[in-house]
Amino acid sequence: MELSRRDRLSELVEQLTTSGEPQLNQASMKEIKKICKVSNDCIDHVYHSVISQLNQEHAEVRLSAFQIASELFSRSHHFRTLLVDNFQEFLELTVETDSEQPLPPPKEVARKLRSLAIQTVQSWQTSYGAAYKKLALGYHFLKQVKKVDFQDAEARTVAERSREVDRQRKMQRIYKERVEAASKDMEESYQEIEATLTEMESCMSLLFPEFDVIDIQTTNSSPPSSQPANECLSVEEQPCCSKDLKDDGREGMMQKKESREEKKREEEEEDDNDNEEDEEEEEEEEESGEEEEGESLDEHLFIRNSGLISHAYSLDLNLSPGLRVKETEDNEAVVSTVKDLHRLITNKHLPAVQGWVQVFTKSGAEQQLLRRALDLKRSLEATLQKHQELHIDYKTRVRKVMKAASDGEEDDDDDFDEVPEKEGYEPHIPEHLRAEYGLDPSPSTSTAAVTNTPPAQRPAAPPPLSSSSSSSRRLKRLTEEDQDPTCAAATLRHLKQNLPLPKQSSSSSSGPSSSQSSSDQKAVGAPVVPFGLDLYYWGQEQPNAGKIVKMSSQHQFWVPIDVDEEVENKELLAESRSRYISFPGSFTPVNHYCSASLGNGKLCQRQDRLKCPFHGPIIPRDQEGRPCRQEDRLREEQEKRRKSEEQPDWRDAELMRDIEAATGENLGSDRVGKKGKGRKKKYPNLSDLKQGANTARSRLEKKVLNKSSMRRIAEVMAKADRRKHDKFSNQFNYALQ
Amino acid sequence: MLGFLTARQAGLDDPLRLRRAESTRRVLSLTLNPDREVDRIHGNGINTIDIEVIEGRYMLSGGADGVIVIYDLENYSGNLQYACKAVCTVGRSNRYVHKFSVETVQWYPYDTGMFVSSSFDKTMKVWDTETLKPAEVFEFEGNVYSHHLSPIARKHSLIAVGTKEPKIQLCDLKSGSRIHVLQGHKAEVLSVRWSPRYEHILATASADSKVKVWDVRRASGCLFTLDQHNGDKSKGASEAVNTAHNGRVNGLCFTGDGLYLLTTGTDDRMRLWNSATGENTLVNYGKVSNESRKKLQFTVSRGSSPELVFVPCESSVAAYALHTGELVTMLRGHYNNVDCCEFHPDYQELYSGGKDCNILAWIPALRAADVEEESKSANQAAADQSTVSTAFQDAWSSDED
Repeated sequence: MELSRRDRLSELVEQLTTSGEPQLNQASMKEIKKICKVSNDCIDHVYHSVISQLNQEHAEVRLSAFQIASELFSRSHHFRTLLVDNFQEFLELTVETDSEQPLPPPKEVARKLRSLAIQTVQSWQTSYGAAYKKLALGYHFLKQVKKVDFQDAEARTVAERSREVDRQRKMQRIYKERVEAASKDMEESYQEIEATLTEMESCMSLLFPEFDVIDIQTTNSSPPSSQPANECLSVEEQPCCSKDLKDDGREGMMQKKESREEKKREEEEEDDNDNEEDEEEEEEEEESGEEEEGESLDEHLFIRNSGLISHAYSLDLNLSPGLRVKETEDNEAVVSTVKDLHRLITNKHLPAVQGWVQVFTKSGAEQQLLRRALDLKRSLEATLQKHQELHIDYKTRVRKVMKAASDGEEDDDDDFDEVPEKEGYEPHIPEHLRAEYGLDPSPSTSTAAVTNTPPAQRPAAPPPLSSSSSSSRRLKRLTEEDQDPTCAAATLRHLKQNLPLPKQSSSSSSGPSSSQSSSDQKAVGAPVVPFGLDLYYWGQEQPNAGKIVKMSSQHQFWVPIDVDEEVENKELLAESRSRYISFPGSFTPVNHYCSASLGNGKLCQRQDRLKCPFHGPIIPRDQEGRPCRQEDRLREEQEKRRKSEEQPDWRDAELMRDIEAATGENLGSDRVGKKGKGRKKKYPNLSDLKQGANTARSRLEKKVLNKSSMRRIAEVMAKADRRKHDKFSNQFNYALQ
Repeated sequence: MLGFLTARQAGLDDPLRLRRAESTRRVLSLTLNPDREVDRIHGNGINTIDIEVIEGRYMLSGGADGVIVIYDLENYSGNLQYACKAVCTVGRSNRYVHKFSVETVQWYPYDTGMFVSSSFDKTMKVWDTETLKPAEVFEFEGNVYSHHLSPIARKHSLIAVGTKEPKIQLCDLKSGSRIHVLQGHKAEVLSVRWSPRYEHILATASADSKVKVWDVRRASGCLFTLDQHNGDKSKGASEAVNTAHNGRVNGLCFTGDGLYLLTTGTDDRMRLWNSATGENTLVNYGKVSNESRKKLQFTVSRGSSPELVFVPCESSVAAYALHTGELVTMLRGHYNNVDCCEFHPDYQELYSGGKDCNILAWIPALRAADVEEESKSANQAAADQSTVSTAFQDAWSSDED
């Protein structure tokens, strides 16, 4: 009876603690209480099992165990005595009084356990503190030594709180510093930004004239006849930009600023010369003029002003939405300034201002500073916006500066810059490069060069490519170099004089192009063969081929007697007379498929040349994937039979288990079925602690630090060590390792 | 009990017998009692306590924050419930307070008008209890770990001081100067104790794991060094010769009669030595957990028939039978390491101080009321303890049936 009760208690406690749920199962708890009520022995037993569960390194287990303990604590005096006797350990396990024994993971549950434990201890203290001295001591210990604030909902210790305060103070200090730095920065660069803005502003107004509302008003009030002139004037007053404006762009601008009437009139004026329509209009105007003679003076005025016959006259204006400014030579300076300024603003000022705004908002600085920074930001952004609206067409200005520099000073190093590297002797030199090589410009003169033309004469035919002064200087230098036997030019000259140029002979016979092409045709068919001894002695008897001359002793007089000085080697002889030319043939792609049936109605699509790794040698098969030939079919069937024998049907794990259950004999079903199946988790409800966080680090660790790769690396390292040891083992500094 | 009393009345027994029997019972029943509390004055760990021997009334305690408190232990209220009041305090506001942790406090053995304290601020102060001002300040080169005044000395008034220096200083209260140095240790001296039997005998324990016994009249060297293997060379390594422990020796205590000396070391051992010969008695106390890097103050009961050693052991106080080494009880009540404990010989009470800032009083449990008394006291007790007793009752709710 007693024993069964004990077992039941242990079972219940384990079941409750490993449920992994935040609340206890009331039914089980009730049963525990019922059993505990019977005798103190049971309480002893429950106490010990609860404490052992509290010692588990799992916060969920601990939480449940703590809940059981608190349930029983309020019920049983005996349990209270037991628990209070061991209150230190209890606090360590639940409130984390020992910093070296932190609460186990998972973290959230641990935090919950801690706050729950602190609350519970407080409630215990109020109800039982007077009776249980140690409980009171523990409470005071928590309160005064561990500085647990029992009112604090977070149940943080004083250390945590002070840490928090410290952090805040630190952040405040940092913010203050930042604000100071930023405001100082702003003070410094405010002027600069302002200047940049005004500069940008004026540049843009130069590029594109502003039409203010005031302007419009004045133009409207001014006599209409003078208005276009004014307009023209104003446009022409701007030195560089009026020409750059495309017409439609200007029209778009006009439309914004001017009244519709004026616009139409201006359009008329612009277009009247080249439009055929205009003539018609003229006619119409006349007609209408005849017809509406007696109409009001306004009408006339309108016609006179606008040149339009009626109000209903409609004109289609092709207005492109944007503005377009094109860079020309006239406005180049302004545009480049604008470009620089734009870059300055986007790269320097705007990020800086944004940084300030961020700092000010984050640290809650004075409104004034923030407003100022925001103003700056707004104006900068407005400027950028404006710049974007202008759609400036930047010319690609590549190496303009470079050009200017090279114009200014003559530097013949520039000419050498673009010459490609050449190595070795080149018998064919293109015509235009001959001068560079220090050769005469034309083949006709080069024949003269063969007949020892003095180099001093060469400057008479200066190469047309480079400027005359530099080339003459260079040539002079070249002639100097010719005299120097160590330099390349001298070698070239030597070659030129001694070697007959093959090209010249061919060119003299049939012209360079045709001979070139015929030789090309031959070259396509013939294999290219590296030059060898056999070619050198082609058709000749080699004097001492295949003979190996043994080196006689280097000693003055000690000479071995019985050594043949020369040995004939048949192989070497053959080798020097013959030549192997390997002919690998050309790659032909595989066109056939394996086309064995895959069981699911499809055929194997692999294209191996001889043998499919899954279906064996490639044999001709029919539509269903069956082999065409009889012997292949037989072979395949045999194979299949063999395979099925390996894993007979009756070894199916399920079936075996059934048979075992029926007969009671062990057929080894677990051996068959349980292959690779892991052990079942003991407590499926608890959150798994071992399940590591799936971080990049853990994944990398899995790869890098897995056993096989470690072993491999160790092997490689050991091998390297051993090799070193083998090599240098007789040297003391390696042997010492 | 009654048997003892009648035997005593009839003169059959030695008077000592009854006394011993009762004190033994009391010592064995020491427990944490809600009736007795000690005021919480210290805001930091308590390193040392000392109870004066003249009246047995006042207790000194020294804290890790430099504070020294004097408690009145005597309960004149007539109630069982008593909280030991702090009579006076050398607090942080006192201008003479020790700057750093107070390591040792000790009453002048013949008068409560004076006490001596030593601290990690490298000073030892002799205090006037009335004015709470230091009458004398001794300064040293290193942290003072321990000092001791001979409890029986009539011919000298020397304070032995163990500091971070390996030399032991002897300070004379008469002249107020350091008069002598005992050389021999190789590391800091963690504990010093005068013999309660011979006034010139001094035992010192050092971090070089040696314990030396000195006769201060002999300048040349120590009398002997305690050897854990009793001179058996085969057992110890050569460097372990003449060592008392295999680690730092940080606790020293003579038994009440001065015949035996107890030492504790960081090798988690406690050893009992014959103080006359320096022989290791080889009593096995088992593991006495000890991680303190400073002095450990422990004590031996007096007057009970198996004498008990009370030694701090992590967060509890372990009580061992002195001569058998048997662990009698573990007094568990502190929530952090215990650093010191002191036995009150008159009332068989134990006071212990630890890093959890508590001084706990371990009071003998009262003898259970005898059968005759029960009838009349039952009602009274019920009335008295109605408030408390609810806490001790089970509260099973009926719905669990």
